[in-house]
Amino acid sequence: MLVPVRLNTAWALFQGLLLEAVPFLLIGVLIASLARWFSPGGAWLRRLPAHPIAGPLSGAALGFALPACECGNVPVARRLLVSGAPVGTALGFLFAAPVLNPIVIASTWAAFPNQPWLLLARPLGAVVVALALALLLRLLPEAELLRADLLEERRLNQPLAAVSLLERRTGLIGLPDDQPPVLPTPVRSDWREVLQHGSREFLNLALLLVAGCAVAALVQALLPRQWLLAVGGAPTLSILALMALSLVLSVCSSVDAFLALGFAAQVTPGALLAFLLLGPVIDIKLVGLLGLLFKPRGLLLTAAGSILVVLLIGQWVNLWRL
Amino acid sequence: MLNPLLRGLSLALWAVVLLQSSVDGRLDLLLRAAFHPLVSAAGVVLLVLALLQVLTGLRNREGTTGQRDGRLSVITAAIALLLILWPPNPSFADLASQRPGDDTTAQSLSFVLPPAQRSLTDWVRLLRSQPDPQLFDGDPVRISGFLLPVPGQPPQIARLLVRCCLADATPVGLPVRWPTDQPLPRADQWLAIEGTMAAENDQLVVVPAVIRPIPRPARPLEP
Repeated sequence: MLVPVRLNTAWALFQGLLLEAVPFLLIGVLIASLARWFSPGGAWLRRLPAHPIAGPLSGAALGFALPACECGNVPVARRLLVSGAPVGTALGFLFAAPVLNPIVIASTWAAFPNQPWLLLARPLGAVVVALALALLLRLLPEAELLRADLLEERRLNQPLAAVSLLERRTGLIGLPDDQPPVLPTPVRSDWREVLQHGSREFLNLALLLVAGCAVAALVQALLPRQWLLAVGGAPTLSILALMALSLVLSVCSSVDAFLALGFAAQVTPGALLAFLLLGPVIDIKLVGLLGLLFKPRGLLLTAAGSILVVLLIGQWVNLWRL
Repeated sequence: MLNPLLRGLSLALWAVVLLQSSVDGRLDLLLRAAFHPLVSAAGVVLLVLALLQVLTGLRNREGTTGQRDGRLSVITAAIALLLILWPPNPSFADLASQRPGDDTTAQSLSFVLPPAQRSLTDWVRLLRSQPDPQLFDGDPVRISGFLLPVPGQPPQIARLLVRCCLADATPVGLPVRWPTDQPLPRADQWLAIEGTMAAENDQLVVVPAVIRPIPRPARPLEP
């Protein structure tokens, strides 16, 4: 046998994950490109609320308008940030929209028609996680949170009052402090430009997706799942185990409910909800994608914050349901 | 001009990956059927994007050049080529040996077929809703699946259930009382078995009368 059996299995797992995720990635990039085409200046985005609570909530609500799973919504969130939307709003969208969208709610309903509590708890939990992360990441100044190239594009779309001259390397001076600059491209972008940008974005994200799926497939093929599921009955351990599983599996939020169904009978309800909440916010595959937005410190804070909040939510649910 | 063309080529190769997977049976091996149209549609969209990219690249001769862009296109094109040239060939027995068995009770049968018409999955789900093996003792059985050796126990004839893609596959299987005069085939060999059910030690065992090796079916995964 030329190729070891285990490698063949890993290769098939990799292809399965990739073929399932690519269409959703494409939908996300198409939505992001359309958003870019229809709102070149993104002026309406800057009018979204910047309030620490209302901002993330309005961002989360955008998920209903732009239904994309977590791999597809990273480019949309990047577009929001570049267009000058308040950081909290963009973060609310980034973290909650993968769950708070019609496709994901429909798939969760299809998988768990007999568990109405989960249909309510999943979107609610996603909002709580997004709010907590948005508040947590506010502790970091924008320059320490966002990647330099993203920040530079973003500065161009922000009013001078929001950023001091020392902080910006690009932009227009001599404008009123409290108004965003009127950039000299009020016309709709050329469709060829949108096509080029969208194609480049797709290939960029596809490369990261490939890397994430490869790692997820290798870990899945080499690490027996029984190790994780053996602890399914213990209240806290089961939550931790399912959280670890969601990090490893890296499957899109639009389909992860079906995966959860597979071991719903073996784990505590809190663990089940934790699996459905953590995957859309962070997993192995997403680390590369989120790296397009955040500096390492922001990424680390996102991972630590989401793991902590999801663990707490899981514990509360177990106290309530067990 | 080169970059848009390279990008178009890379997109076209990714379109080929998706479209080829849709027609050569690869999707049947990897994904649940509900997702197949989505993959095909994404392939068509990518192909259209690739064509537009090449056309605009040919017209717009002063297209931007950038080494990073070129590298990205070449790397992604190479990955797509690898996917096209190296089809998946998973070992279901290897996969099943690492997974816990399917335990869902939600997907019970809505109606019960006559014994000889039940698939392996039908049998497993029926047993789950009516776990008393004595109820089925002596029933005729005609099932197919792959051979899954179980250490210290009789081998099983098994299938993989998939809700989304191969990554969440869970095995379901029935133990087989293997005839002592026949050697055990290699793990993963697909078999068609005809015989009867027997209740042994509080579990149902397949007692084969005819065992026939068969090629892997076109749609090996069960929903």
